[in-house]
Amino acid sequence: MINSCKNKMRIRFKEFNGVAIWKWIANDDSCGICRMPFDASCSECRYPGNDCPVLHGECSHCYHEHCIKKWINSQQTNKLCPMCRQEWKSVP
Amino acid sequence: MINLFSFKEATNRSTTGGDPNKPTSKTTPAVLRVTKDLNELQLPGTCKVIHPDPNNLLDFNLTFTPDEGLYKGGQFIFSFRVPVEYPHSPPKVKCTQKIYHPNIDLEGNVCLNILREDWKPVLTINAVIYGLIFLFVEPNADDPLNKEAAEVLKNNKRTFEQNVAQSMRGGNVGSVSFDRVLTHHR
Repeated sequence: MINSCKNKMRIRFKEFNGVAIWKWIANDDSCGICRMPFDASCSECRYPGNDCPVLHGECSHCYHEHCIKKWINSQQTNKLCPMCRQEWKSVP
Repeated sequence: MINLFSFKEATNRSTTGGDPNKPTSKTTPAVLRVTKDLNELQLPGTCKVIHPDPNNLLDFNLTFTPDEGLYKGGQFIFSFRVPVEYPHSPPKVKCTQKIYHPNIDLEGNVCLNILREDWKPVLTINAVIYGLIFLFVEPNADDPLNKEAAEVLKNNKRTFEQNVAQSMRGGNVGSVSFDRVLTHHR
């Protein structure tokens, strides 16, 4: 059958579904604060992805945005990275 | 066609009130985190974690039987109460016995930097337990909760050792009587 049609496919695509996978770019697999994987949501959230993004610090450490913001906002004076105690500055 | 976003919206609509992105299950973030901490505990044989109520992971006891240092031969029981804000707030740790230690007061409050000012949410139950072990290997006279004990440790190590031994037998140091914490009779 295939030989007889000289490499020409005798089918027609009616429809196809594209599938994509995504993964956060981070220096670690999981958030040091909640210990949940970055590709899952923080333990306060239900859906991973845009609803629960990952924030990078200038010190190279990453956390779920919700986790690190909760920690930074709870600190009165020094807003430090919980991993390395350098001043926390998030990379935009 | 199944559409993830319409699915999401439908689920959002079905949950009444509150933030739609919040989990509906009763497992709180603190419980999730403590579960991970407990599963990853790597403790020496001198430590044992016991849950008096297996349904409540947030309250547990640590039994510590030092195998070195001045407190060898004693068995110390600490209660851990993990707050709902954990890991954004540290666990509350108390010594359940009245013991003679420069960094533990007579009510059982523990002076350990990572339980107070130096707590960070990346720390774990494991780290806290290692902090406690360290306090018994190296009592710290510079940061005391029991000032009398710290003074003795600073000025006369020999007397301090005798006081520790005396207190662990359930004896008095000065006018204060202490709980007997020895694991066996001598």
